[in-house]
Amino acid sequence: MPQEKQAQQPHPRREPRFDRPLSLENLKEVFSGCVDFMERTVYLNGDRQRRVTVCYLLGMTRNERLSDYILRPLAQDRTLSQAPEGELFSLLQYGALYNLAAIRREKLDDVVNDLILGSCALFFPGRMDVLTLPVPTEEKRGVGEPENEPALKGSRESFVESIRTNTAMVRRRLKAPQLKIKEHIVGRQSRTQVDVLYLEDMADPDTVKRVEDRLAAIDIDGLEAAGNLEEYLAHTARSPFPLMAYTQRPDRLCQGLLEGRVALFADGIPLGWMVPGTIDQFFKTGQDRAYHWMVASALSLVRYFCALVTVLLPGLYIALVTFHPEAIPPKLALSIVAAKQEVPFSTIFEVLTMLLAFEVIQEAGLRLPGPIGATVSILGGLVVGNAAVEAHIVSPAVLIAVAVAGVAGYTQPSQDFGNALRLWRFLLAILSSLGGLFGLSVGCAGLIYHLARLESFGVPYLAPFTTGTKMPRGHPSLLRLPLPMMKWRDGAVKSKNRRNQR
Amino acid sequence: MKKCLSLALPLCLLLSGCGGLPTAREMGDMALMRTMGVDYAPQGVEMTVSTGPRAKGLQAEGERALVLSARAESLSGACLSMQGHSGSYVFYGYVDQLLVGEELAQRGIKPVLDYFARDEELGLGAQLWLVANGTARQAVESGGESGVDGRLSTLQMDGRLGEACLSRTAGEVYSDLMEQGAAFAPALVVGGLEDVTLTEGGYGILKEDRLAGYLEGEEARGLELLMGRAPAEVLTVRLEENQVSVRVTMVNTSVELEFQGEDLGGMGLNCRVDLTVTEYERELSGAQRELLAQKLEELLLSRLEGALDELGRLQADCVGLGLRGAAFHPARWKEIREQWPARFGILEREIDLQVILHE
Repeated sequence: MPQEKQAQQPHPRREPRFDRPLSLENLKEVFSGCVDFMERTVYLNGDRQRRVTVCYLLGMTRNERLSDYILRPLAQDRTLSQAPEGELFSLLQYGALYNLAAIRREKLDDVVNDLILGSCALFFPGRMDVLTLPVPTEEKRGVGEPENEPALKGSRESFVESIRTNTAMVRRRLKAPQLKIKEHIVGRQSRTQVDVLYLEDMADPDTVKRVEDRLAAIDIDGLEAAGNLEEYLAHTARSPFPLMAYTQRPDRLCQGLLEGRVALFADGIPLGWMVPGTIDQFFKTGQDRAYHWMVASALSLVRYFCALVTVLLPGLYIALVTFHPEAIPPKLALSIVAAKQEVPFSTIFEVLTMLLAFEVIQEAGLRLPGPIGATVSILGGLVVGNAAVEAHIVSPAVLIAVAVAGVAGYTQPSQDFGNALRLWRFLLAILSSLGGLFGLSVGCAGLIYHLARLESFGVPYLAPFTTGTKMPRGHPSLLRLPLPMMKWRDGAVKSKNRRNQR
Repeated sequence: MKKCLSLALPLCLLLSGCGGLPTAREMGDMALMRTMGVDYAPQGVEMTVSTGPRAKGLQAEGERALVLSARAESLSGACLSMQGHSGSYVFYGYVDQLLVGEELAQRGIKPVLDYFARDEELGLGAQLWLVANGTARQAVESGGESGVDGRLSTLQMDGRLGEACLSRTAGEVYSDLMEQGAAFAPALVVGGLEDVTLTEGGYGILKEDRLAGYLEGEEARGLELLMGRAPAEVLTVRLEENQVSVRVTMVNTSVELEFQGEDLGGMGLNCRVDLTVTEYERELSGAQRELLAQKLEELLLSRLEGALDELGRLQADCVGLGLRGAAFHPARWKEIREQWPARFGILEREIDLQVILHE
């Protein structure tokens, strides 16, 4: 394709990015204007006739390792000055330097990429190839506790920003060589490593291929946020519901792998994703398998119930109080009438305003530093709410209904799923305002229709509750059975090997 | 495809009758009616409705119960004209007590029950009471500031717990009238005791939807036995130098129709009554226990006989004896069904009463 025509293409992509011969001058030109680009010429064992230029990016390499294992041997190893000129390169590549890896590069693109990832490059005068040695810095956040998924009974490890630390945590738990880890680079400018993990004898090869194909098709400038992966991989634009479950906990991710799912890591994001994402994944917690099965089942039922409460309660309140008061028990109706008599606003306006106020207070609390956020929540929620009720601006029943719906939403283990329910809560409340229980029913039907249309990597979103896949079911999704009885992986995930225990 | 669906969906909704959305109405503007009384009036009907005890505002300051009354040619007309008598929207969705005046009951209560069945706010779940020797308006107004709803709810709850006479919903009475041609409903008397404005007055017997008579006292207790319900009373029996109180705890009554060939020959009634001794002056001896059982049997038998005689006289099988007995002879029942009301009172009957005493 002619260069002009290619330039007119939307977001043209150049491959290779630096289409020039490999040389020190060209490398310096690539990194011109980069204050962190460093080069140093070293005489091999003090021999002025033999020299090598070491290039690296300051901050991306570990200084001690570079000095001790690269520069020191270069400057002090006698064999380097005595070896024949032609064997010098291979001598350094295969032993003279104390580094885990030494890679011969012939393309400028590869060398640039290696330097960015924390390697140093050795340029030899007169040679068209380069030796790169990975000496990346290990400055990173230590492994801490999963703040979003706290554990009372189980591992307290959480994923960190370093992708290799994360894969190591998984490898330490799943020591089988069948655990495959494949790396992809995403983002033209960010060049972010994205790893695909799966157990070869369990995961569905089609799902693995889908994931890898979609990763390869991502052509963006940078991968800086979780959405950069989720929205490109799972095509979530038309639905607020998350199609990829994520976790901070290595044990939960490993459980996902053992169920036959495919996992994803992105460098710089302390999370692991599990695909395909089915709706039951968003109701499970890492602690489900740690508690007694009866307790875990009861808590699971509570979470499903709370999901219904959070999404339906405001709409149901509007529908009953405004359109179908006869469905309210008489004593409750009398107290609602008594409290409502001096409130100047309509119930619909009250509920929608309170829902909005709830979101505002929550958003304000999240954006502020911890102590101030708590103050805002107390002021907004308690003081203003109480004052509004006493001033007859809001009826207490509305306040209770909105607060119960809001608090019930916090029982959702997945923040993304909870957020989707919050959006639908508004929609259902508006539909109830228009048509009472009829409107609410239409909204619920729409919600079910919407969920039934969703697919995650070829698997229906509602797969655990449907038989649409024509695949055998695993175990009940609402309950957590005793573990010795859970002998099967869910058929919807299309695992190669469905039996998971004797 | 999507365009077709978007056109087809509204069309389906319109065709299914969902032409318009329901109308919103704020509950704060509503007067929730709890009790409705219906009387005969020369022009049509007189309707009296009442709220229960009302509260206003967060502090729930008490307000007088709202009592409204209207006369119209029809029930729906009376309901509609009631709206103009109140500053609030009069809402009938909470009417769960229906009082029917004696005169209206004598002229037929089917139009009232029919209206309750078809009206979108009212329902047949309301409790039905007949006002003996009075009007429903008097009964509704007897509640004073707090309304009559509380008293009726107490009677209803007591009836369910076996502490008062049997309570019946409008639906039960309506279905009995349709199936048996007769029904019974608890009767109330206005102005009984000092603090209580409404007292129990036995049962009103409805035949072909008209009030045919009342069962009171022993006959009313006999009707409860026929229904298999323990009467809400303590029986005191005087033995030789010993006074004993017993309470009926359980009653089980079954009916059998006896046929001689194709003809109905008689009716058998099996009644088992469990009683518990609640008080006595001296511990009962074996002989006294036998004597007590004998006296109780005589008493209960006379109640049963009294109730059956009165129902037979009225030709109103409101307790469904025929239907219960017919369960074993469905084909024969079809043939005698029409004659049953006239015949069951004069049928030869055999009552097998079994009294079981517990201490």
